[in-house]
Amino acid sequence: MQNRQTHVFSEIEDYRELLENKHLRSKNRFVMIITIILGIAVLTYMAVAKYPLYTTLSLMTGFLLVILINFACLAYGYENHYFYQLNQYITSFGIFCLAIAMIFIFKSPSMVAALFIAYAIAAFYQDLKVMFISNAFLLFSAIMIMAEFPEYLDFINASQENDFAVPFFFLVFILVLSISSYIMVKQKRFFYNQIALSKETEFRNIDLLIDLETEVTGRTINLSKYYDNILAFTDAFTKKIQMDNIFIKKIHIMQALENNTAYPLLHEKYPDFSKEEYDRLSDLSLGVHRKLLKLAMKISYAKDVKIKKREIFSETQFKSFNHQSDSLEIKILAFAVFYTALRRGNAAMRPLTEAEIYNVLVYTDYYYYIDPRIIRIYQENNQVFDDIVSDILGKRVK
Amino acid sequence: MKNFLRKVFNAEFLPMSEVRKIKITLVMAFLLVITAVTIPFSLFFKYELLTVIIVLIALVIGFILILALFRWHKILAAEQISIIYTIGLTVFYTLGTSSFYAYLFFYIALTIIIFYQELFSYLTYGTLVVGIGVYYIFTYQADLVSMQDISGSVYIYAFILVMFYLIFLVQILYNEKLYIDLNYDWVKMNRLIEKYQDRSLSYLVELDKRQKRTPGYEDVKCQKAFGEIAVFLAEHFHEDGKDILNLRDLYIYIHERGLRRVLDNDEFSVSTKKIANRLDKYLLNSRTDMISMIFNFYTKFRETLPYRDNRYEYNLCKLAPNHEEQIIAMALVYQYLANEICNEDHWDPTDKPLSHQEITELLMAMETEEFLNAEQIAFYKDNSDLFEQHLRKKT
Repeated sequence: MQNRQTHVFSEIEDYRELLENKHLRSKNRFVMIITIILGIAVLTYMAVAKYPLYTTLSLMTGFLLVILINFACLAYGYENHYFYQLNQYITSFGIFCLAIAMIFIFKSPSMVAALFIAYAIAAFYQDLKVMFISNAFLLFSAIMIMAEFPEYLDFINASQENDFAVPFFFLVFILVLSISSYIMVKQKRFFYNQIALSKETEFRNIDLLIDLETEVTGRTINLSKYYDNILAFTDAFTKKIQMDNIFIKKIHIMQALENNTAYPLLHEKYPDFSKEEYDRLSDLSLGVHRKLLKLAMKISYAKDVKIKKREIFSETQFKSFNHQSDSLEIKILAFAVFYTALRRGNAAMRPLTEAEIYNVLVYTDYYYYIDPRIIRIYQENNQVFDDIVSDILGKRVK
Repeated sequence: MKNFLRKVFNAEFLPMSEVRKIKITLVMAFLLVITAVTIPFSLFFKYELLTVIIVLIALVIGFILILALFRWHKILAAEQISIIYTIGLTVFYTLGTSSFYAYLFFYIALTIIIFYQELFSYLTYGTLVVGIGVYYIFTYQADLVSMQDISGSVYIYAFILVMFYLIFLVQILYNEKLYIDLNYDWVKMNRLIEKYQDRSLSYLVELDKRQKRTPGYEDVKCQKAFGEIAVFLAEHFHEDGKDILNLRDLYIYIHERGLRRVLDNDEFSVSTKKIANRLDKYLLNSRTDMISMIFNFYTKFRETLPYRDNRYEYNLCKLAPNHEEQIIAMALVYQYLANEICNEDHWDPTDKPLSHQEITELLMAMETEEFLNAEQIAFYKDNSDLFEQHLRKKT
């Protein structure tokens, strides 16, 4: 049994992680700045309130430690992004430890709320694991204070209901905070998913376009002429700046790569080039499905793509069969047409089998592109759908 | 309930409108619990019984209003009312008691506002809550201190509340900026994909013609197949199969005559025209949402290159770190634009490759910043004559 729900394109997982890490750096910076501000505020308060030097120093050491780890992880993060992830866990842990230390040092009910600040800081990362660390700390601290150190909440004019109300509202607050953080993390993931999905969709659609174009127009790029022209161009350019033509070797390698020459053969001729360099030069060639061809196509298509402000966050941009504005009948018809079109295929696309369609519709994000009532009926009766189409279209594609 | 929980756990797959609904539902559940608890708590408050009754009735009406707005799909209005409701509850607690738990209520109210992640709401309602909170702290400071409290604890209460507000304000501002940027990229990417699919569709039509295949919307068997599937689905909803077949006929009719003709035809009722308008995005004879969904679905079953870290990288600087390679790549791109009919209108026989002037305009355009940096553009400008002279040769 397959697990629900995965992404229709497995490739997007890596890119989504890349996107998350890209933004993690700026989040780490924000957290570090907030921690520094808090450290200064606590130090100032302790100095004004004339706390003993060793108490002040011990708390400040804690703050300094968290800040220094932040600096170090941010620096090492350039080399390896796992340091950013490590930093968010260490910082969340450190901030909660500092909040608990402050509760013990000051022994004041006002300091209990320092836990909320710690939660707010950790929430900045919008990460599920960090959220679990924060929840565990917050819950543990709240229970610890109420069960073991009730004197910290021993108010002068405590009302009758206080004993019940304080734990209750603490619990409500933790619950609201946890659910809120959870949904926000998921919401953030949705945006990253959509970006990653559109990148993969674009990648695959360019490939499809290249193949269709080749099939319909029969045109191919005259690559040998292209490289002759480039040799002439680089000759003229190097003469203009009065130097030798340093491009020749790479042009020859690229030309060989265009002809699918194997790396070992190339390496015999050009031993000073590494596999990574061949990979890179291969990306820069114009052959079918090569990177540079896609870049050139993208440049030509990107022209005049203008986005209006109102289109951002517009629901109409989200392609699905579950638009709020559509009636149930329209949703039904749209799904029926979609299903039949996939089963029928067309000149360039083979008919898909019931199993292929079922696995994507039921186990991937496509599940949410369809009205939940309709997809449930399909899920429970997919064999009927298969029979209808097979009977009418006169073929059983298995 | 099971479905709702599944939606919550899979919220990362849901669009904003669905997530908003989840948020409202969760907030309503919390407000219901808190309101229920408020009834016994209100006995301890410093209000007269009549005031308590009036407030509780107002709360019940408020809750029904949120529920009604939610049912009527007025999600944004429901959000606003739920925030106002929360603030009302906060005020009811803070004016009714001077206990520590009323102070906790400010955090609960702020968290509910934060939950919606809307800058305007947070700036107005959030600031209001913090304002009331600070007022409450200084008004009831005597009841918030413990037996042997530290000096200035009242300021600490206020400082922490304000800091909590500010940290989340920074977070919301950061998210707002991030989500706008991401969404902009996403919309731009979608537009670009639509352009590719426009072109792909025109090739597909050509292939259909060559292979003498009838398009799906004209093929009687295909029409029958989706009609029967639609009837099967409709009957599960206890709907009359005839209605859905009428809708199918309208759908086919729009393909035959075009939406414009349907809209201009006085014989059709306003409701039919509205339905026709909605069906427009699901047509099969132009690049619509339906065509995009079909293309995207199909690409899943096409062979693709294995994933590499630079799979989606199209910036020349990142593809080629050294200048020589960048120059060669630029020369190749220029030749492609100068010699191939790219982004052509398949139906226009006069279509031809771009002229040098057109390429220059294209490379100088804002959209190209994504692929070429200022240094590469400057190189092109300085050597534009060489590009034209050597790379425009007919291939």
